[in-house]
Amino acid sequence: MKSLLIIEAKKSPEFLERLLRVCRHRGFTVDSINAETGSVKQVSHITLTVCSERDISLLTKQIEKIVGVLQVATLQQEQNIKATA
Amino acid sequence: MNGAHFVVQALKEQNITQVFGYPGGAIMPLYDALFDGGVEHLLCRHEQGAAMAAIGYARATGKVGVCIATSGPGATNLITGLADALLDSIPIIAITGQVPTHLIGTDAFQEVDVLGLSLACTKHSFMVQSAEELGPIIEQAFEIATTGRPGPVLIDIPKDIQVGPSVAHALAKLVNSDKQLNSKRIEQAKSMIESAKQPLLYIGGGVGMANAVEELRDFIQETKIPSVCTLKAIGCVPHHSPYFMGMVGMHGSKASNLAIQECDLLIAVGARFDDRVTGKLDEFAPNAKVIHLDIDAAEIDKLRQVTLSMTDNLKQVLPAIKAKTNIAPWQKQVAKMKIDYANRYDHPGEPIFAPALLRKLAEIMPTDTVICSDVGQHQMWVAQHMFVDRPENHISSSGLGTMGFGVPAAVGAQVARPNDTVIAVSGDGSFMMNVQELGTIKRKQLPVKILLIDNQRLGMVRQWQELFFNGRYSETILTDNPDFVTLASAFDIPGETIVTKSQIDQALQRLLKSEGPYLLHVSISEEENVWPLVPPGAANDQMMESVG
Ligand SMILES: Cc1ncc(C[n+]2csc(CCOP(=O)(O)OP(=O)(O)O)c2C)c(N)n1
Repeated sequence: MKSLLIIEAKKSPEFLERLLRVCRHRGFTVDSINAETGSVKQVSHITLTVCSERDISLLTKQIEKIVGVLQVATLQQEQNIKATA
Repeated sequence: MNGAHFVVQALKEQNITQVFGYPGGAIMPLYDALFDGGVEHLLCRHEQGAAMAAIGYARATGKVGVCIATSGPGATNLITGLADALLDSIPIIAITGQVPTHLIGTDAFQEVDVLGLSLACTKHSFMVQSAEELGPIIEQAFEIATTGRPGPVLIDIPKDIQVGPSVAHALAKLVNSDKQLNSKRIEQAKSMIESAKQPLLYIGGGVGMANAVEELRDFIQETKIPSVCTLKAIGCVPHHSPYFMGMVGMHGSKASNLAIQECDLLIAVGARFDDRVTGKLDEFAPNAKVIHLDIDAAEIDKLRQVTLSMTDNLKQVLPAIKAKTNIAPWQKQVAKMKIDYANRYDHPGEPIFAPALLRKLAEIMPTDTVICSDVGQHQMWVAQHMFVDRPENHISSSGLGTMGFGVPAAVGAQVARPNDTVIAVSGDGSFMMNVQELGTIKRKQLPVKILLIDNQRLGMVRQWQELFFNGRYSETILTDNPDFVTLASAFDIPGETIVTKSQIDQALQRLLKSEGPYLLHVSISEEENVWPLVPPGAANDQMMESVG
């Protein structure tokens, strides 16, 4: 099942590495990723589509534990993602 | 003050009095600062030993353990220890030297991307990029290591930042972050406990980590709910409690594993449904509703879907969910299972039966003795047959199962608790994995006692080869072991070998009474197995048992 994740995190050089490692290790493949860092607030905004047989909450709870993560929002189901695309 | 002196000062402010490590090029400024005193440094003989000593220190006290290594090979040698601390949620801080900032990314001498390596084996990690960052990072590192679910944190410090000027940093006052409990959930938990006919506590390492042993004991005292524990939770419940059945899982007691299968309410307290505990997951506690209490939200519904969960501090939750129980028939059944399936020590013949020896040792060792176990059959025998007063007194590499853990962990525990007896129980395979730490024992004259259970085999693997690989003993026969007593004597550690039952009592006395370190080398049959055993993939009631 595909899910769309919207993540806000404090800017740090290795944040994307941490995030992608957690996705892979917990059994999620990343289908697409977009990351932008605002210059003012030092916050990174990352949009991620991931795919797995596993329940998405298994991933979001792990992402929430990464130090520096400020917020994680999820949109599940292929249809929802298409609808918002 | 330069960066290195600043680090030592910051460690002092965090109440760190002793650290374990090994010097080298990129960390030399820090060693130079340590030379001035203030924080005692203990030289281990391998960075893996230093990391495991820091773990032993942390586990024996509940405080943070600190280890230090140089860049490159020093840092890579720490990795196994960090992974061990991550899987067992142990608060340690690793400080590594890094090549100077301008050389990072140039494949400089002894440069390894330590931050990259750390991602999979720490709770969090930092690379210090400027002098201003040093203070805040050290403060954050201690906070991250100790709060929520504890874990290892690594700080990589380039050499130029160690030698450059430091920037003052004032420690923030820590605020108590206990949340208000959710009263609806508390009521629901109480009513589930009240209406359960066969409730069971499944106690994990989180209880000790949360410093909630007293709260747990109170809860048990009042509710009289039977309990089982994981490898990490040994010591939480006094072993003689009538409804405590010991360890659950692959080498758990028969009573524990049967009780799990029969309970109608499972209360998991700081436990995480590890596969070595559950056996076949969908047949684990098949008839039970589950209440899961764990500080880490990511553990909830990870492996077992639960009826009710709370992620609050166990110290707060346990007193709040005390409820009236009416479970006399279940208590009777549990007490009977505990007696019917009690361990037996009437082993025939003269050769030493390790479970009986360990039982004897547990009976005669002083209060508050710390047992540091290595990994293999002897580790499971310790878990099954020894007992300790509190979880800090049973230190065993549980999640990672790291051979070589026992001796360095005992070094750390002994440094942390110089007045308590510390015994490393090791196997002939495991002992050789960090045998260089005998040098640390000698250097500091640590009175660590070593009980080496020698079956001339990698026994645990040999057992699996016997049972599941048609007796094909591929690379598990160690008849070419060194003479261990001679080996110890090279480090001025006295010792002796025993081979028959009649020698046990006096040898254990000599081990316990020795003023300094001591090696008791116990020769046992290579054929002994650990029973019971839940074979891989089977449900916990499908135990294999000794045929003898
Ligand atoms: C670092 C490491 N390597 C390999 C293993 C796999 N392993 C688990 S138990 C064991 C044998 C341990 O032998 P020994 O220390 O002699 O203890 P025994 O089982 O004989 O009591 C091995 C090789 C491990 N757990 N850790």
